[in-house]
Amino acid sequence: MKQNTAIIIGLLVIVLVSSSMFTVDMTQSAVVLELQKPKQIITAPGLYFKIPFIQQVRYFSQQLLDNDSPPAEVITKDKKNLLIDSFSVWRITEPLKFLETVRDERGAESRLDDILYSELRVEIGTHDLHDIITETREPIMKKVSEEANIKASEYGIEVVEVRIKRTDLPPEIANSIFNRMRTERERIAMEYRSEGKEEATKIRAQTDKERTILVAEAYKKEQEIRGEGDGQSIKIYAEAYQKDPGFFSFIRSMDAYKNSLKTDTTLLLSDDSDFLKFLNKP
Amino acid sequence: MFLGIIILLLVIWILPGTFYFVEPDEEGVVTTFGKFSRTASPGLHFKFPSPVEHVATPKIRQVRRIEIGFRATPSGQVQKVPNESLMLTGDQNIVDILLVVQYRISDSVAFLFNVKRPEKLVRDVAETILRGIIGSRKIDEALTTGKAEIQVQAKDMVQSLLNKYRSGIQIVTVQLQDVNPPEQVAAAFKDVVSAREDKERMINEAQGYRNAVIPEARGRFAQIVQGAEAYREEKVKRSEGDVKRFLSRYEEYRKAPDITRKRIYLETMEEILPSMKKFLMGSQKQGVLPILPLSSNPVFPDSKK
Repeated sequence: MKQNTAIIIGLLVIVLVSSSMFTVDMTQSAVVLELQKPKQIITAPGLYFKIPFIQQVRYFSQQLLDNDSPPAEVITKDKKNLLIDSFSVWRITEPLKFLETVRDERGAESRLDDILYSELRVEIGTHDLHDIITETREPIMKKVSEEANIKASEYGIEVVEVRIKRTDLPPEIANSIFNRMRTERERIAMEYRSEGKEEATKIRAQTDKERTILVAEAYKKEQEIRGEGDGQSIKIYAEAYQKDPGFFSFIRSMDAYKNSLKTDTTLLLSDDSDFLKFLNKP
Repeated sequence: MFLGIIILLLVIWILPGTFYFVEPDEEGVVTTFGKFSRTASPGLHFKFPSPVEHVATPKIRQVRRIEIGFRATPSGQVQKVPNESLMLTGDQNIVDILLVVQYRISDSVAFLFNVKRPEKLVRDVAETILRGIIGSRKIDEALTTGKAEIQVQAKDMVQSLLNKYRSGIQIVTVQLQDVNPPEQVAAAFKDVVSAREDKERMINEAQGYRNAVIPEARGRFAQIVQGAEAYREEKVKRSEGDVKRFLSRYEEYRKAPDITRKRIYLETMEEILPSMKKFLMGSQKQGVLPILPLSSNPVFPDSKK
């Protein structure tokens, strides 16, 4: 009996001791509440004590938290609707304030969403669509981060950074972009094809021209050479035949007779011709 | 006895918490009452049991990967996520980009303590950086020449942002898996490629035409010139031949002109007359008419007198 009492007392001591000790991790901070009243704020890790049952501990993350805000529809300065999907990197800097205002991370995230939405709307509303996508993206994010940080500080939150993830266009604008892209590509394709035709036609024309010139030059040269031949021939004949034109015309005529008077030629011969002169009078 | 059992139970309860293993690809990070105390290399190590000391063993050698624009299912299929993959370019076009980011833990302490959901952070950071970069580029750059540069730039920017958050993460690679025009306009983009090929083809065909025609024309040119030269040579040679023959005959003729002349005449007649039809007439010319033949081509010899 005495031994059992000792065991029970021992167990009670263990329970009491263990419920009066708590550790705070490096990733955490803690607020000790005494009967729901904040008593102590712990931001350094280690082993801590509390009064069991009367004091309670609430833990908060000290890590960087990453909150995805739902896509927000905003209107740009040039009156275009834009869906902006952003995320914020934040941390709890003042656990007590945090506990008092938003209680937990979920509460904080919905506050953050509201803050971001309104800041983004204000900021986006002062820029044109083109700028939001390109150059001023970084400055916009910076500006929104700063503004959000100021607003969030009343919840014990530090907004480290707000970043725009996506800027989606509403479907009708996306469609008009697709149409524009399509027509632009069609234009480029057309350009290539007609450039091809242009080049090809130029090459063909150049080729035809060169061929015509070649043919004409060939004709010119041909006539030149042939003429040369004819000329030389005339000169050769003339030089030789001038020695005795009479004999030339006689002998040439004889050759011509041989060549031109053929089988089916009919000849009338007079008996006083040279050939037949001995026929009557030998 | 009863006390003994309780002590035994306590030992059984506490003992497993006094040692731990660190696998070869891990690093042990030990906290004492929530405060970082030491890291441990692979092997067997001892510690105080919980709740005094805790150990976490992140796999620091493992290369992790996240996919943007798609998810690879374990079976190897690729599921596209258009919400992530479609993005606006600087010239207000839309491209479809699939990105893979590989990273590993470079500082296990920072990794464990500084960021609550590191994987999500890497994804969000990669996405915002990628969209920022693409938003500052022209679509043709993103589709073609700019890829390598985009990868390098993205890697640097993601890394520097993660460093700023002291995430303990090192980016190994940022790879653009695929950069395509969106499906809605893919056909038009493909047509540009085939148009470029058409252009090449048309030029090649014309070049082919040229290659066929010009040599042929040159050949024809040479042929004509050769023909003409042949004509010239032939003409000259023949004249020279004729003249030689004439001169030889003339040499002999000069020695006895009358006889030779007569002889040549008679020989010629002898040669040509046998094959012809002949009509003889007396020296009285009036006898011609009644026997004028009706056959064609009568030829009157040119009598030399």
